[in-house]
Amino acid sequence: MTEGIRQKAHIEFRLNDEAVEVAFAPHKTLLEVLREDLNLTGTKHGCELGECGTCTVLVDGRAVLSCLVLGLDVEGREVTTVEGMAEEGRLHPLQDTFADLGAAQCGYCTPGFLLVAKELLEANPQPSREEIKEALAGNLCRCTGYIKIYEAVELAAARMRGEEARPAKEIIYGYE
Amino acid sequence: MQTRFIGKPMPRKEGREKVTGRARYIDDITMPGMLFGATVRSPVPRGRIKEIRFDPQIPWDEFTIVTAQDVPGSNYVALIVNDQPYLADRLVNHAEEPVLLLAHTDKYLLEEARRAVRLEIEPLPPVFTLDESDEKKEIIWGEDNVFKSFLVEKGNVDDVWAGADFIVEGEYRTGAQEQLYIETNGVIAVANPEEGVTVWGSMQCPYYVHKALIKLFNLPEDKIRVVQTETGGGFGGKEEYPSMIAGHAALLAWKSGKPVKIIYDRAEDMAATTKRHPSRTRHRTAVTRDGRLLGMEIDFVVDGGAYATLSAVVLSRGTIHAAGPYNCPNVRIRSRAVATNVPPHGAFRGFGAPQSIFALERHMNKVARAVGLSPEEFRRRNFIREGETTATSQVIREAVDMQRLVERAFELSDYRDKQERFARENESARVKRGVGFASFMHGAGFTGSGEKYLQSIVGAEATPEGRVRILAANTEIGQGTNTIFAQIAAEALGLDFEQIEVAQPDTANVPNSGPTVASRTTMIVGKLVESAALSLRQTLQNSKLLADSYSPEDFSRACRDYLAKYGQLKSFSQYKQPAEIDWDDEKYRGDAYGAFAWAVYVAEVSVDTLTFEARVEDFVAVQEVGRVINPTMAAGQIEGGVAQGIGYTLFENVVWRGGRMINNQMTNYIIPTTADIPPIRVHFEEMPYEHGPGGAKGIGELPMDGAAPAILNAIENATGLELNQIPLMPEQLMEAFRGEHA
Amino acid sequence: MNRFEWTDAATVHEAISQLNGRAVVKAGGVDLLDRLKEGLEAPQRLVNIRNIRGLDRIEEGKDGLRIGPLVTLARLSEDKLVLERYTALAQAAGRAATPQIRNMATAGGNLLQRPRCWYFRQEEFHCRRKGGERCFALDGENQYHAIFDNQLCAIVHPSALAVPLMAFGARVVLTGSKGAREVELERFFVTPEQDIMRENIIAPDELITEIKVPRLQPATRSFYIKQGEKESFDWPVADVCAVLQTKGNVCLKASIVLGAAAPVPWRASKAEASLAGKVINEQSAREAARLSMEGATPLAQNRYKLAVFEAIVRRAILRQASS
Repeated sequence: MTEGIRQKAHIEFRLNDEAVEVAFAPHKTLLEVLREDLNLTGTKHGCELGECGTCTVLVDGRAVLSCLVLGLDVEGREVTTVEGMAEEGRLHPLQDTFADLGAAQCGYCTPGFLLVAKELLEANPQPSREEIKEALAGNLCRCTGYIKIYEAVELAAARMRGEEARPAKEIIYGYE
Repeated sequence: MQTRFIGKPMPRKEGREKVTGRARYIDDITMPGMLFGATVRSPVPRGRIKEIRFDPQIPWDEFTIVTAQDVPGSNYVALIVNDQPYLADRLVNHAEEPVLLLAHTDKYLLEEARRAVRLEIEPLPPVFTLDESDEKKEIIWGEDNVFKSFLVEKGNVDDVWAGADFIVEGEYRTGAQEQLYIETNGVIAVANPEEGVTVWGSMQCPYYVHKALIKLFNLPEDKIRVVQTETGGGFGGKEEYPSMIAGHAALLAWKSGKPVKIIYDRAEDMAATTKRHPSRTRHRTAVTRDGRLLGMEIDFVVDGGAYATLSAVVLSRGTIHAAGPYNCPNVRIRSRAVATNVPPHGAFRGFGAPQSIFALERHMNKVARAVGLSPEEFRRRNFIREGETTATSQVIREAVDMQRLVERAFELSDYRDKQERFARENESARVKRGVGFASFMHGAGFTGSGEKYLQSIVGAEATPEGRVRILAANTEIGQGTNTIFAQIAAEALGLDFEQIEVAQPDTANVPNSGPTVASRTTMIVGKLVESAALSLRQTLQNSKLLADSYSPEDFSRACRDYLAKYGQLKSFSQYKQPAEIDWDDEKYRGDAYGAFAWAVYVAEVSVDTLTFEARVEDFVAVQEVGRVINPTMAAGQIEGGVAQGIGYTLFENVVWRGGRMINNQMTNYIIPTTADIPPIRVHFEEMPYEHGPGGAKGIGELPMDGAAPAILNAIENATGLELNQIPLMPEQLMEAFRGEHA
Repeated sequence: MNRFEWTDAATVHEAISQLNGRAVVKAGGVDLLDRLKEGLEAPQRLVNIRNIRGLDRIEEGKDGLRIGPLVTLARLSEDKLVLERYTALAQAAGRAATPQIRNMATAGGNLLQRPRCWYFRQEEFHCRRKGGERCFALDGENQYHAIFDNQLCAIVHPSALAVPLMAFGARVVLTGSKGAREVELERFFVTPEQDIMRENIIAPDELITEIKVPRLQPATRSFYIKQGEKESFDWPVADVCAVLQTKGNVCLKASIVLGAAAPVPWRASKAEASLAGKVINEQSAREAARLSMEGATPLAQNRYKLAVFEAIVRRAILRQASS
């Protein structure tokens, strides 16, 4: 038996590029451990049943639903949350474009979208609109109708490729 | 007019907080010693409570338990008609009705305890549909099941039938719809006899909650404080419902002496909180051979659910919009909101108008066909123009040009070419394509004398840093209140955008500027922001601390100097109704709204005739909304509203069994995903409105009105099927195809 | 969700030795956590098999394809070998649920999911499958329910992978305290008549330790189609896998399995028989599609599913002719 039966779990993993240790009851989900035991409330409860994508985080670079992952499941793994997206005080390009292009309205689904988009752009720096739609098909937004989210992902992707990119004209509907 | 901020895509004020995870929503907040609260709800739709049993397995002495007997003040949610109890006492009138509250520090044990309370309820015969309620076989509310009824009369419709060339009748139905904000309802309450009651939470209308808690606790105004925290979407779903959950948390906090947090999980939020009113509309229309409307008789019924809540107001808006942007000399609209034993229906973006506009815009296509005109030509002959009157005899004083909107929408959507091409291709295609449109209007602000009674007040305050802080109770729920207010104030004062702050809505700190509903925040409250800001500047100039001509730095310095000299600087502005607005509440006649937004939406669809899958392939939304304050946010409102409209039409089906929603999960109550939403192209025609800030009119609800009828009109164009009910699910499409070919 | 203990198993043997009392297996945990949160189950212990080495391989040997039960749906949908040779399996994996869930959910877990019937999933309805007296769907809201074998209980089997796997003639290896056994997938699932409380024959102390897909005959192609009400998230209203072995444009052998049609993945035997020896064309595909629905007993609200199935069965067959 590797660990034996656990009543109280104690695990180590990497969280937003830092080593962390945390102890919690074994029935807690990763979402609860992040919010309640590590005080990172940027990851939100949406539905608790894997139906909305709001609680998405990256585990070893892949987007997963933290409401359906037990905290115990990330022992030894690398977890990224929205709090870990900015580097050295500079926002990730996706964070800039989401804020500026209207991709965040109420903001509640935004952390989940940002992390899925990050996973996408790391695997595919120049996604088509269709590929963006497919990658984001596991995240629900009730405010935007998604259009401004695509535009934000496209602009961030262009900037990350080092292109001198500005919002496309149609994004601001003919206004200068 | 040269502007610095009005009409510019200024970035969202709180955008950086939202993209970094720093924005604090209610569930992100904890308090020392805080308990979690849960609600025990009725499993039956109607009955008498006989007994409440507690499973002895649970250590009940550790719990705070609240029933109707614990209410310190009045056990009803104060709103329009005070019929809805916070906690059912002897009778329950709908499934999911709250009966008992529990609180405990351990939320897992709390959940076990909630399941371990058994309610023994002797059932009474329930009423589930508006048709059953309207037939009055069983009376479940008042004397006749009717919460409210209206009669609108213009001309004399009884005289037109004999002389009509055509009389066209139709019946149209719409289903319930869940708001499905991604953040569920939640609050934290602190309550005790010394400090009074304070509630923080996700909400649209802090002063609604304030008013309700005064009655619930029988405390003076200044002992109740309500604070809005960052709110993850509302769409009407957090207009009246937060008064309920806030009261519950406060009752538990009052009894336990500890802070209490209640956050609904998704299943509870979907099953127990309000949804859009289902409706039935019947039309009878008299028209001449050359396609002129002679008379319209409309019967509009909405299902209010078990309690009155806001049904009277929803009904009012639906009634006034029922005859649309058409010039018809004789109109009669009868409407009523009726009771059923389902959870109360409530506010949802559009507020009754999407229901009656769906019916009207489907019916206009039917009338056009009867007359032998195309839908656009028939409408062209009847569009309302400046100087003509609406159904409530409101004289239109704007230079409205619906035909220009039609032309613009047709041009952007390639409507005429597509219609011709699809007609040709559909002959042999199994997947049929079609285009359709709807033309409509939406009134901004409260109906009739509503704004006059509200007497909204907005404040502007100078801060020690030399900035201007806007004090208003209107909430940022994603739609852009903070940003729009800052743009209006910065423009009015000639300051930098960053020099404007918007205060967190807190009833201890901001005046009552009315609720965040009815597309009123920009047009009505924004105008007050402008005048409060200007009045603050006037005070500075009167005090000689600020010259007539000044730089942003001068202004900051003047603010600081003023505060050093006098301590504080606040100015307030109160709503005054424009003199020409005239409304008769008795006759339901006159100027229903200060201004209307006007729109034409075009949908392109494909319908698979073998799998009965209907998809929206393209969407064009053209509207005239006065001056656009922030084009990014305005377009975001339209795109989001259209997406909700597409869901309303083709996906979102509330499945009821025994008065309960059985598909209360996001996997089986389906809202559109990225894969379901077509390109949505938004265009604004701008015509500044004299009473709006910077010329703006209201915009928030408008986009909810047009998608459903445009899509069903497009499906009719694709298939020839006359479908008059939403949501349109594959099984209904199949039945329609079968009926057609049988 | 109830409180439970947690055991991390490093080997299959360790896992099995822990599977006693009220213990359950946890792999990806997607459906399990869902059921725990909905209060459908309250186990005392979770036995985590996620970290057992060697159960996450995709390998092709001379007898066919071997898939470890811990392979995620995302990997199955992206795997080059699976995409090229067992196309329908990659398609089914790639169309299931959402990108995030495909990153988490495992092949074994997909086969062992419990039904999505809304009466089954709601605690308030004590239905036959939960030991109650009645099936609420039969006289209730049944638009998504079974159209075959639906007299006792009208659930549809929720597994997307089971549809192509059964069409390919796959077998599963079950390992328990009494050793390993290999079962045809077709015999792995059980109908309500056989046992209304369960969907398969796995014992409480057994794990799926391998999924075996037999080597394909030459000139065999497969295609999977899912029809849902929306494009993402949704379980299918109807799905189908057609595996056809052809010579020229003549079908030598057809294997056609329907999902979301019955309480088990449903083999359309008459449709298969009708295609054998026939040229694949509009007419033969249409006839097979019609026969696939023969004997269906739709409920009050799900007759439309017959037409949907006929359409996708026909399309799945014709896609092979065109590919």
